[in-house]
Amino acid sequence: MKGYRYELILIGLLVCVLGLAGVLDPSFLKIEVQLELSREIWELALLALGMTLIIITGGIDLSVGSAMGICSVALGLAMHGGLPVPVCIVICLLTGVAAGSLNGVLVTKIKVHPLLVTLATYGMYRGFAEGLQGATTNAPVEALPDLKALFAGTFPLVPVLCVALAIAAGLVLSRTVAGRTIRAIGHNESAARFSGLAVDRLKFALYGATGFLAAVAALGYSARRSATAEAGMGLELDVITAVVVGGTSIYGGRGRILGTVLGVLLIHEARQFVDWHWQQAELTLIVIGSLLILSVLGHRLLFRVPGGR
Amino acid sequence: MSDALLAIEDLSKAYGGVQALGKVSLGIRTGEVHALCGENGAGKSTLIKCLTGVVKPDAGTISVSGKLLETGDVRLAEAAGIAVIHQESTSFPDLDAVDNLFVGREVKKGLLLDRAAMEKQAVVALGRLGLQLEVGRPLRSFTVAHRQMVEMARALLRDCRLLIMDEPTASLSARETEILLDLVKGLRADGVSVLYVSHRLEEVFALADRVTVLRDGQLVATSAIDAIDHAGLIKQMVGREVDALTRHGSHEGSTQQPCLEVRGLGSSGLFEDISLTVHRGEILGLGGLVGAGRSEVARAIFGVDAYQHGAVLVGGRQLEGGSVRAAMKAGIALVPEDRQHEGLVLPMPISENLTMAALPELSRFGLIDSREESKLVSELVARLSVRTGDPDLPVESLSGGNQQKVVLGKWLANRPDLLILDEPTRGVDVGAKAEIHRLIRELAAQGTATLVISSDLPELLAISDRILVMEGGRIRGELDGTRATQEEVLRLALPAGEASRRAARGNTREVSAS
Amino acid sequence: MRALAILIRNREAGLLLLIGILTLAASLVDPSFVAANWLDILINSVPALIIACGVMLVIVCGEIDISVGSLLGVLAAMLGLLCSTSAPGMGLHPWLGIAVVLAAGGVVGLCTGCLVVFGRVPSIIVTLGLLIALDGAQDWMIGGGDIKNFPSQLRWLGTGGRVPVDLCIAAGVVFATWIVCNRMAMGRRIYALGSNPASARLAGISEARTKLFAFTVTGLLTGLAAILWVAKFGNVSTSTGVGLELKVVTCVVVGGVAITGGRGRLAGVVLAVILITMIRTVLNFMDLGPEAVKWQRAIEGAMILLAVVTDHFGQRDGRAKGGLSG
Repeated sequence: MKGYRYELILIGLLVCVLGLAGVLDPSFLKIEVQLELSREIWELALLALGMTLIIITGGIDLSVGSAMGICSVALGLAMHGGLPVPVCIVICLLTGVAAGSLNGVLVTKIKVHPLLVTLATYGMYRGFAEGLQGATTNAPVEALPDLKALFAGTFPLVPVLCVALAIAAGLVLSRTVAGRTIRAIGHNESAARFSGLAVDRLKFALYGATGFLAAVAALGYSARRSATAEAGMGLELDVITAVVVGGTSIYGGRGRILGTVLGVLLIHEARQFVDWHWQQAELTLIVIGSLLILSVLGHRLLFRVPGGR
Repeated sequence: MSDALLAIEDLSKAYGGVQALGKVSLGIRTGEVHALCGENGAGKSTLIKCLTGVVKPDAGTISVSGKLLETGDVRLAEAAGIAVIHQESTSFPDLDAVDNLFVGREVKKGLLLDRAAMEKQAVVALGRLGLQLEVGRPLRSFTVAHRQMVEMARALLRDCRLLIMDEPTASLSARETEILLDLVKGLRADGVSVLYVSHRLEEVFALADRVTVLRDGQLVATSAIDAIDHAGLIKQMVGREVDALTRHGSHEGSTQQPCLEVRGLGSSGLFEDISLTVHRGEILGLGGLVGAGRSEVARAIFGVDAYQHGAVLVGGRQLEGGSVRAAMKAGIALVPEDRQHEGLVLPMPISENLTMAALPELSRFGLIDSREESKLVSELVARLSVRTGDPDLPVESLSGGNQQKVVLGKWLANRPDLLILDEPTRGVDVGAKAEIHRLIRELAAQGTATLVISSDLPELLAISDRILVMEGGRIRGELDGTRATQEEVLRLALPAGEASRRAARGNTREVSAS
Repeated sequence: MRALAILIRNREAGLLLLIGILTLAASLVDPSFVAANWLDILINSVPALIIACGVMLVIVCGEIDISVGSLLGVLAAMLGLLCSTSAPGMGLHPWLGIAVVLAAGGVVGLCTGCLVVFGRVPSIIVTLGLLIALDGAQDWMIGGGDIKNFPSQLRWLGTGGRVPVDLCIAAGVVFATWIVCNRMAMGRRIYALGSNPASARLAGISEARTKLFAFTVTGLLTGLAAILWVAKFGNVSTSTGVGLELKVVTCVVVGGVAITGGRGRLAGVVLAVILITMIRTVLNFMDLGPEAVKWQRAIEGAMILLAVVTDHFGQRDGRAKGGLSG
């Protein structure tokens, strides 16, 4: 766990992207522009925190985007039904925790491979969100003014929450029994079990917590735009990309929150700049897809990590 | 003796500065069983890897029947008639026996496989080993011994002239071992040469024509088996006299205070009606064949698996079943059978592995006290004499024996009242084995109750105060550890019908001898 | 209980039973269901069926490919640009277009394989990256409107024949895959590699060659599926192929192929493709209104969950038995 070479490389890459931006289009680097563009980073960042910990345990959660969708629809229904804002928020959060917990139960109790569990719930949650929305409001629900003020108003609640959670996650991973357990599970789950570490409880908590983060992201999204089954569509790919670009091993065991933060920043800046400068959404996809493959390839070549699977 | 089949000249291989093999020269004759001995890390595996082409040596030559073999190519080595049966079964559990025999070397009719021909050949090849198996069944439904024999058949099918066997009996029961040894003798009679690698010296003396000893990557000596004895071989391996496994006779530590009481423990299909007591300071041995249910009992006591019947009491209080954490809280520790998969997290540092079971004591509100942790780590490293430069290195950088010490240390950190050891010295070299035995006795003397599972009969007899023998999921008898003999243990361990037949056979042999 | 155990143990029997129940239920609502729809169900299965044959090989040898949906989109767009008779199409001869698309599919598959085998990048990462990048490429190639107007020779592949041509091609692909899996050395090696990679290498099986084969075949078959797709619908849009990778992986897993490799049969995969296509058809057929179709994904998700959970219990039985005999 010594050495921050990979993180330094990520910072270098980030500087390169921003430098290129500075040369090609200096207006992109203006504070106002960056602040404006940063609105979309927080949902990605929130989900990436949970995803990092899950991937370090050797798992994966493909359902985070869909969980956001179902949380958003639940929020929309609650608002549509005229419930007060705090109740709406609680309903949204509970939906997220429930969605994450279902993943957790299936992974820990039924012991199905997380890739399969969350592939199934990926379709299921989005299907429920669409079905539920179709059967009730059949249209996005505009967020209530109070909710908008809270999550998309002048006080940056979501960013503050996100930074606090990132620091907390970093500390958990490096300083606590839970963090040690997370890494041990990722490297060798049965040895962790034989050492009396709380393997199942921890995994369950991680999936549940990621569901909670999806709900928070859904609150931010719904306040920014509207409560809809579309929320978080395709976001899981960005999240996984950011985590993996950040240096977390898809096989589990290795990974750091700092890397994920840098990965999120890199993906975000690359995407926003390509979009800003060339104004072609399809080009950003090509850039991000290539970045994902190249980052892992580069990591392999630079650090000679033995291949597996 | 007949002419040389294989000649190894000045073979050398280094892994990043560590000389795994240094100028080793060795000849193997046609139709001989040549044993290869040495402590862990002596270079045996590297030599095998060079022979089979998995690894390319840095220098030196290998020639087969006088023809130089190009090194570093699995296919060429195979074509030259070199085959290997590994320590861990290398079969394909999802494929059936026929596919296992022919994979990589299929019999074809044009582009397609000739399944009928392969089946016929498979039956013949297995028949040669005296086996009649359903060749169409997936291999996962076979016993470990049968899987290993399928591998031998595979080697024979490939016209192998040199069969390398790497610890072939490590996971076999005594009876299966006997069958395997007979098979090896049969191969020798057919003119196949066998390079036999084993820690079990009894097998070496029963089987080998000559024996070669490696130490620290260097060749110590090759001697005819008649020209050397047990003590001499061990001396060559370690370069010094080691106390042979002496019985610890007196058991001053043993008390009459029960620490663990197991009452009528049962788990469907695995074991039933297990009752036993381990007293403070006592070393209770649990003997039996592989598959007798010993490890399963240990796992149930430690809460890794749930059980259906009976109760486990520690210090008189009943233990919640199926919870490792509850067992740990009650002061139980288990050193599992499978070091690499259950005992250690190989890529994590030695230090973190050592403290993994002690984290509750080292942390407050879930936060780990790093100063306390490093104190404990240096204490344990010293106490166990783990040979490492830096405890922050991954534990996979250690040799097998030192890895096993780390597993032990992990549980010592917890100061257990009851220590369960499942095959504590499997795959461990002679030196580390003695150190581990010393440690077990030391702990018992300090009052720790110990339950040892071992398939190594001399070891079981040497360290146990009392011995319980399991067979078919039940306890078949109790023996006094200071007086029991290997034969007594074995008689209880063998399935009933088997034992009487064996006894009968033993009698006839005695009669004919007299 | 025993019957249930058999169904869990034997994936094909379970899938057939589900197909039977579904058919019966639909027939109770409207007796004309089978007569009116059976051919449609088969024809609609074609793209997923063809690609599933390749993806199954990839999963059996211990890897995964989740880029096939985007790849199908890109290849369909490529065929459109080459063969469409109206702008931006170049109006080339269909056979030329078909050859180029098949070659391109094979090359992409080969490159994926190379990155996995030689670059040692995990296949889920490579194909996730490809999924994203190819999605972008597809949008870029198609630009604004859909690509339409394909020559009639090409359309014949998807619409002609007394027995539909595309169905015949799919049947041929399934048969060929069966031969490869069960009657050719390559198939057995794929299973061996997935079952125990370390000893496969020791048995002299070339990991590189085997995996490159599986990925390249998947690319080729995706190309074939793209051609049949265009031939059938005569239209390529930015949404062509979206989500198909998940449908295919779902089918392969529901069909009983172990995600960890080494285990699974083609028959199960074929039945799973038919079953999942059928669910879609039944939902449409029952005419429960446009909202009902929206539940489709939820039902498919529940299906895969059911499949993996039953698979899990089936496996646990098997393991307990193995423990006793060992």
